[in-house]
Amino acid sequence: MTLVFQDLKKQYGSLVAIDSVSTRFEPGLIHGVIGPNGAGKSTLINMTAGSYTVSAGSITLDGKRLDGMKKYQIANSGIARTYQNIRLFDQMTALENLEVCYYPADVGMSWKEVLWPPYERARNQKRREACMELLRFFDLQGYAGAEAGSLPYGRQRMLEIARALVMNPRVLLLDEPAAGLNHHETAELTAKLAELRSPERVMIIVEHDMDLVMTLCDRIIVMHHGKLLFQGTPAQVQASPDVQLAYLGTANDIDDIKAAAEARRAQLGIRARRRS
Amino acid sequence: MLGTLIQQTVNALTIGSIYALIALGYTMVYGVLRMINFAHGEMFMLGAYAAFLAISLMVGNIGAAGAFVLTLAFFAAVIAVGFIGVGIERLAYKPLRNSTRLAPMLSSLGVSLSLVTGIQILAGPQPVAFPSFFPTARYNIFGGTITSVQIGILVAAFVLMFGLYTLVNRSRIGIIVRAVSESRPTAQLLGINVNLAISMVFFSGPLLGAAGGILYASYYGIMTPTMGAVIGLKAFTAAILGGIGSIPGAMLGAYILAFVEVGGTALLPVVSGGMLGTEYRDVLAFAILILVLLVRPAGILGEPVSEESMVYKREF
Amino acid sequence: MSAIDTTTPSASRTGRLVPFLVFAAAIALMAVTPFLPNYYIRVVNSLLIYILLGIGLNIVVGYAGLLDLGFVAFYAVGAYSYALLASPQLGLHLPLLVILVIAALAGMVTGILLGIPVLKLRGDYLAIVTLGFGEIIRIIVNNVDWLTGGPQGIPRLDKASIAGIEFARPVEIYWLLLAIVFITAVVVWRMERSILGKAWAAIREDQDAARGIGINTTNAKLAAFATSATIGSIAGVIFAASQRFVSPESFTLQESVLIVLMIVIGGIGNILGVIAGAAILILLPEFLREFAEWRILFLGLLMVVLIIIRPAGIVPRSFGPEKLIKGLFGK
Repeated sequence: MTLVFQDLKKQYGSLVAIDSVSTRFEPGLIHGVIGPNGAGKSTLINMTAGSYTVSAGSITLDGKRLDGMKKYQIANSGIARTYQNIRLFDQMTALENLEVCYYPADVGMSWKEVLWPPYERARNQKRREACMELLRFFDLQGYAGAEAGSLPYGRQRMLEIARALVMNPRVLLLDEPAAGLNHHETAELTAKLAELRSPERVMIIVEHDMDLVMTLCDRIIVMHHGKLLFQGTPAQVQASPDVQLAYLGTANDIDDIKAAAEARRAQLGIRARRRS
Repeated sequence: MLGTLIQQTVNALTIGSIYALIALGYTMVYGVLRMINFAHGEMFMLGAYAAFLAISLMVGNIGAAGAFVLTLAFFAAVIAVGFIGVGIERLAYKPLRNSTRLAPMLSSLGVSLSLVTGIQILAGPQPVAFPSFFPTARYNIFGGTITSVQIGILVAAFVLMFGLYTLVNRSRIGIIVRAVSESRPTAQLLGINVNLAISMVFFSGPLLGAAGGILYASYYGIMTPTMGAVIGLKAFTAAILGGIGSIPGAMLGAYILAFVEVGGTALLPVVSGGMLGTEYRDVLAFAILILVLLVRPAGILGEPVSEESMVYKREF
Repeated sequence: MSAIDTTTPSASRTGRLVPFLVFAAAIALMAVTPFLPNYYIRVVNSLLIYILLGIGLNIVVGYAGLLDLGFVAFYAVGAYSYALLASPQLGLHLPLLVILVIAALAGMVTGILLGIPVLKLRGDYLAIVTLGFGEIIRIIVNNVDWLTGGPQGIPRLDKASIAGIEFARPVEIYWLLLAIVFITAVVVWRMERSILGKAWAAIREDQDAARGIGINTTNAKLAAFATSATIGSIAGVIFAASQRFVSPESFTLQESVLIVLMIVIGGIGNILGVIAGAAILILLPEFLREFAEWRILFLGLLMVVLIIIRPAGIVPRSFGPEKLIKGLFGK
């Protein structure tokens, strides 16, 4: 269950957004993708999930080619994602946001759901119970019947992650899950994500919050100008002079990284509170 | 042969210019509000009625109106319709600006229905003879006949479109309109007066549409309260064909549609060996539209909407 | 109508009272109708046909969030199916039930055939292309004289009958329609609650995110298109059977637009809303008959006012059939 990028390339006209990236993502590990804005982190996620086409190279999961497949087919191969800007189904309830994920599995029998009420009840109950469990895991059970769009910002982030987990994906792609969350919420998120680590699951997190990445991730990939600059453990990344130079420009002390992250988080925290 | 060709080309250019004048209103409104303004065809109709009213207020005998009166009536009518357009926006669409996308569109349907019936009640449902705004003369060019009305329409339409083009691309207000079209939320954040841009669009769009209506009525010598419906639909099709939201696209789409129609009317019976008559002209127009959209889903000059560039999640 | 306007679900007194009033009014109307003069029964019949059309189109517009402006094409398919298969036109005289099945299939096939090329298009482009298809079908019907009788239409359609029971008088058509509307409403409501219905809602809310959770949006949209076309076609059959005459005039763009309006004014995505919207747009002009063209002006202005006051429709989405049933029978 390994996700492999081979010479992956994304080009917009003459602009090369991703340039020959080759790497492997192993199950059981949490992979962090970091890099300055515009380094191509989100593009990697969008290509893996099929939102963007792949210009050259390949993406394979257990030897199966994913690039070139349709987006929904990729999702049905066990790849789930969240979005940088939350994309929930706003006018559906939190519970329905999760239940609808059973569509690929249950659609074949939907005629029976329509025509045979007992079958529908049984199906519904099964789906509901599984989804409520997930909601409980994210402390969202109180919002089950509320419209997703009306939830506080931080809860929406959690709900989106819950939605990605409904079908127990083999690959979980999280695009800046902590963006806009306050201090407390980020800590809560970090704890939940740590619990999601599973031997059968590849987890990839694109994130700016260095604290979260450093505490959570087993392996970190540093992107810079669309190229893979460095990959290694958090300790190796922190020690790498290349990374420091690329990521922080002139800074040469890891404490500066932390201070910068701290300041950024404080800033985001304020923004999140204002939004909710 | 050459004469027919020239004559048909001029016919197509004439009708295309009128389509273009109306299509511009659709496309500009769509640009700033992402809304299909179904009442826009009625601005076309109002233009003709307003001009007629202006002439009859100035001179007793419509047919005897001189060039000065006609010119004055033309400008009075288009400006009046421009203000009507702004007023309608304020009353019927502005309260819905933060609603679903479907709401203002259906509100515009209500406006359209009210305007048509309103005119029917005021002026009667029957067709009314419309005075020609240009001296009637015919010219023979290589065997094709071209009337002075056609030349007048072409000149007037080109002047108006050039005026709009200059306004949008060269003036300060044009920059504001383009900024709002690009992204209303961003423009708002930058402190751009979004209401001004919207009012501007709802002034110039109906103004051009009304001009189209006057030219059309004087081309065919007749006006009816329902004249906006079919022509509005055609112009709307043209705007979509060219890529809705794009100003050059609307003009291009209008001329393409006009050439397809004129060409279709002339060629369909010949090509199909009499099987398909001219009544299939509209089928041909829509078929071309559908084919173009299948190849270019955002129209000829429209910008393709990709997944991540979507500004709105819900389509309606 | 404003009585339905309770958006607070917690108010338990109104939570019971409103469903009860709505239900009682509906039952009263249904019970009184057969005793009205024929003219009024015909009005109610046309209301029921529009409700049927509204329920059908609501699947595409309200559930899946796709603006279809050519719905009337499917209505025409059904009406002309009946006209051709039960009239002297082709000398065919098939029974109603057989025609219903044929028309339902024809509607479904037309829906899928039209759907395949157009469902890739987004929003407004879909609207104009469906509008184009609607117009194309009308123009063709108008001009294929040897088959459809052209603008003159097809007269002298058979009286409809099922198993020897004739459905020709307005009151007989009324019972037939009532049964069909009821069955359709229940089936469509159950579809809305099924996993397919949830997928439609997801597509409506954000079709890219819907693809991201594994929904084959093209297929789900086709299912919506096909279901809605089937219902439109069935409505067309009953329409033809009740008029016993069809002509292209009944299938103009205005009809499509009227059905969309019913849905939006009533309450988009909600069957009860569709019924309310149809009642307003079909019955109101009848009540205002004596005012001639003033009533159309009034209707146009009312549309604008209603949409401004309640852009999401008169009946809130939360007040659906489920709420009605719960209010009536407890739980």
